[in-house]
Amino acid sequence: MFKNYIKVALRSLNKNRAYALINILGLALGLAVTILVFLFINDETSYEKHWDGYDRVYRTGIKADMMGQKMNAAVSCSPMATAFRTEFPDVEIATRIQSVNQEIMIRHEQTKVYIQKGAHADSSFFKVFDYEFVHGDPATALKEVNSIVLTVESARKLFGEKNAMGGVVNYDNRRDMIVTGIVKEPVGHAHFRFDMFMSDNQVQNVWLNNSWFTYVKLNKGADYEVFKKEMKANFLKKIEPDVERFLKMTVEEFLAQGNAFEYTLMPVQDIHLYSKSDFEIRQNGNITYIYVFVGIAFLVIVIAGINFMNLSTARSGKRAKEVGVRKVNGASRKMLIFQFLTESIIQSLIALFLAFMLVELFLPGFNNVMETNITLFNDQVGITIMFSLLVTLFYGLFAGSYPAFFLSAFQPIAVLKGDLTKTKGGALLRKTLVVTQFVASTVLIIGMIIIFQQISYLHNKDLGFKGDQVIVVPLQTDEMTENFRTYNDIFLKNSNVLNVSRASFFPGDIPNQSMYKLEGSEEQLPLWNMNVDYDFLKTMDIQLLEGRTFEKEKESDSSAYFILNEAAVNNLNIENAVGRRLGTFIDQSGTLQYGNIIGIVKNFHIEGFNQAIRPMVLQIDNNVWFAAFKIASDDMNETIAYVEEEWNKLEPSHPFRYKFLDEKFGALLRQQENFGTMFLFLTILAIIISAMGLYGLSSYTAEQRTKEIGIRKVLGATVSQIMKMLTKDFVKLVLIANIFAWPITFLLARDWLSNFSYQIDMPVLPFVFATILALVIAIITVSSQAFMAANSDPVDALKYE
Amino acid sequence: MIKLNKISKVYRTDEIESTALNEVSLEIGKGEFVSIMGPSGCGKSTLLNVLGMLDKPERVGVQSAGGSYKFLDSEVADLNEKGRSDVRKKNIGFIFQNFNLIDELTVFESIELPLLYNKIGLSECKQRVNELIEKIGISHRASHYPQQLSGGQQQRVAVARALITKPPLILADEPTGNLDSSHGNEVMELLCQLNEEGTTIIMVTHSSHDASYSDRIINLLDGQIVSEKKSKMAQAAV
Repeated sequence: MFKNYIKVALRSLNKNRAYALINILGLALGLAVTILVFLFINDETSYEKHWDGYDRVYRTGIKADMMGQKMNAAVSCSPMATAFRTEFPDVEIATRIQSVNQEIMIRHEQTKVYIQKGAHADSSFFKVFDYEFVHGDPATALKEVNSIVLTVESARKLFGEKNAMGGVVNYDNRRDMIVTGIVKEPVGHAHFRFDMFMSDNQVQNVWLNNSWFTYVKLNKGADYEVFKKEMKANFLKKIEPDVERFLKMTVEEFLAQGNAFEYTLMPVQDIHLYSKSDFEIRQNGNITYIYVFVGIAFLVIVIAGINFMNLSTARSGKRAKEVGVRKVNGASRKMLIFQFLTESIIQSLIALFLAFMLVELFLPGFNNVMETNITLFNDQVGITIMFSLLVTLFYGLFAGSYPAFFLSAFQPIAVLKGDLTKTKGGALLRKTLVVTQFVASTVLIIGMIIIFQQISYLHNKDLGFKGDQVIVVPLQTDEMTENFRTYNDIFLKNSNVLNVSRASFFPGDIPNQSMYKLEGSEEQLPLWNMNVDYDFLKTMDIQLLEGRTFEKEKESDSSAYFILNEAAVNNLNIENAVGRRLGTFIDQSGTLQYGNIIGIVKNFHIEGFNQAIRPMVLQIDNNVWFAAFKIASDDMNETIAYVEEEWNKLEPSHPFRYKFLDEKFGALLRQQENFGTMFLFLTILAIIISAMGLYGLSSYTAEQRTKEIGIRKVLGATVSQIMKMLTKDFVKLVLIANIFAWPITFLLARDWLSNFSYQIDMPVLPFVFATILALVIAIITVSSQAFMAANSDPVDALKYE
Repeated sequence: MIKLNKISKVYRTDEIESTALNEVSLEIGKGEFVSIMGPSGCGKSTLLNVLGMLDKPERVGVQSAGGSYKFLDSEVADLNEKGRSDVRKKNIGFIFQNFNLIDELTVFESIELPLLYNKIGLSECKQRVNELIEKIGISHRASHYPQQLSGGQQQRVAVARALITKPPLILADEPTGNLDSSHGNEVMELLCQLNEEGTTIIMVTHSSHDASYSDRIINLLDGQIVSEKKSKMAQAAV
């Protein structure tokens, strides 16, 4: 019997190829999206899971609200790891690292290699993160001063096929280090990816200087909540001496003034998706994307499922006779339900097969856009197949259940006598389903447009600086930093080099924070500071609003001069800021140096747009890490070649490296752009599937009404009248769908936009446009069918049946 | 075999009640060949559907209560769809005017279908179907689809499908209605042959020619039996 079902199912599919194509292709696309999203989620949630005991590892952070400045940072201070190890019985081990934010040049004999990401780590690091050692001992590798552990890849780059163990590595022409370990790149993902580790076991006993990352691994069975409480209390005591020294008040007084300061813990496995902290080692993922993609996959599968249900029931007239015959020949309702479910499962399985091929087809593009490295046939392919089989079976049962129960309920006598009026039932349900489908499509269309408007808004937003003619070059040696000012003229000899300047960081980098005090005020303020050189504003095209820019002739080396951005002026809450005096700490003991505020500049962006512009203080200082050249827009390549040539003469030890400033900053936008691109693809897919279903459904509607159309034509109806009649119904459904789609999208879009510190006002146009687009799609799809039906010969129509 | 006593059937729509069968009483014995005749709308097909348990009869008559339908001596008037389906499956084969073959099944598979629903083993199925298509002379068409057959051939397949479970009763609703006379005669002869082998046959027909093959002709008008007579051929036989 089962064989018979399969046989009939396959033959029936073969006979109704157009229908089968719509169904199977639509479903295959839906399943492909689902599998892709599944793979993506699997990848995104796999972070840190490869570390031994990862669920007991936490990273500390700081959450503070000081004088209205909110801070949520992943950083911690130097002595914290030691405190964890010595004062908390619940702690198995703790480690402290410092991530180097610049690429580092290392050298072995004559081979020079730039390392993208390096870390200073204490000797416990490999006890928390169990890298696999090819050579060396994880317990001792980072114990000695000037030890360095390389990844296999870094070692190969620097040492070639030679064994690197015990080899001498020169760090940035500053000091020599000995290779004490070679580690494999971990198999899984982590929130950091380092190419080398340098030993750093020296502890600076200052609790308020937070430039490190501290990871703590608890003992098995330790009570996390209890531990967290103990930690907060213990560390708050630790900062007391520092607070008293710098702020001249006790911690109690500090908190009583409405300030907040606490230490936080975040499970290491949550960092990638949930951390919204400042100073992350690198850009993390975003749980919102996961929610959105799951939502889309769900919508797409619902749309494809609705196609299936709609087409099956619409076709019921055709299947009704078969049901009647089978019933008369002894089939029970149960058997028929079973038969129809078998059919829908067979279709689903064919679709699944296709879906796997589609996934293979889509994956390279997906990886490219999402910057992932996902494969279908990875070590988890079994789970993927199990998951997709489950979805497919569920889908087959779910989508097949309505037609199965609907069709099997036909009374044989009614259908065998050709009385098909009784099989037209389900029209209301079909309409409801079409509306649902169009709600889903319209939500996606509106969403897509809003996402693109937001992204283009960010793209075109005034950044406060101009980066397309500025190249940024890292300053790698102390000599270069020390003497750079005297080199300026060398570069400026070329008339295409317009300006030269330097800064401690540039837009796209991670900024620094310091404490400041306004003269005459008791309050200490954490502001963001940027060390710059003369001509910085000119090089960057930052607009001066008030006062003057830094001028060598007007300033003495012994006093400080400050330029504030608008945010800082607001934050300090001062009028006539120019001329006021600002103090900054110049040593660990709390000594303040005051200087004049000489100017105010327009706000400019340093970080991504999910971050409001920080209150920033600019000052002239030789602690700078990058040089910047503004070059003329003509002959850029030649100008860059000139700068490179001169640079290499001045600094032969480090090969010249540069980046355009707009690219550097643009990298911050990339994640959102990728997300937008992926959303666009998925939306187009969903619309195609919707349109396919509508096409199928309208063709069946036209077919069902063949006789009616024939009679109307005999009675004098014109082609256009008939087309109008057939199209009108669907147009109504699309309009109803929009009534639901608008508020849903409004809420979702508002939620998404709130992720950005700079967002567009909720636009009206996308809503109108999506409605029109949905209507156009519906009318084109339906009217092509209606046209054929309306143009058919009425005699043929009347002979029908 | 069949004992109908005051059986009615009323179709109701929102506003109109139409009585298709009005307290019909009828007895049909084992091995009989009965024709039901009458003008369009007289209730022939309704009667056949009630007899074939495709339709549920009403025991409460239009004028008096207490109708009954006894099939093989057991009351079936009150059975639900499942119960009727069980009785049907075991005892009744159906033949329709428009053949009602499933387009996706070959001749062989069409005939095999009732056996599969009756859970007969595969090898027995095969044997029985082969025997039967041999007998009705369409074995060379076994793997063809309905669209590839002539009307007469289609109806022979439909007859074979009705016969395959060896039901004691065959109900035929204008079996020759869509056939030309020569194909029609072929089918009628096939039915006669079956009847001679002991199968009870009840046939609805418009054609008095076809009716003449049967033992007894029942005339229906407005849902009531108006006359009952032996057919000419049966009279001739006597």
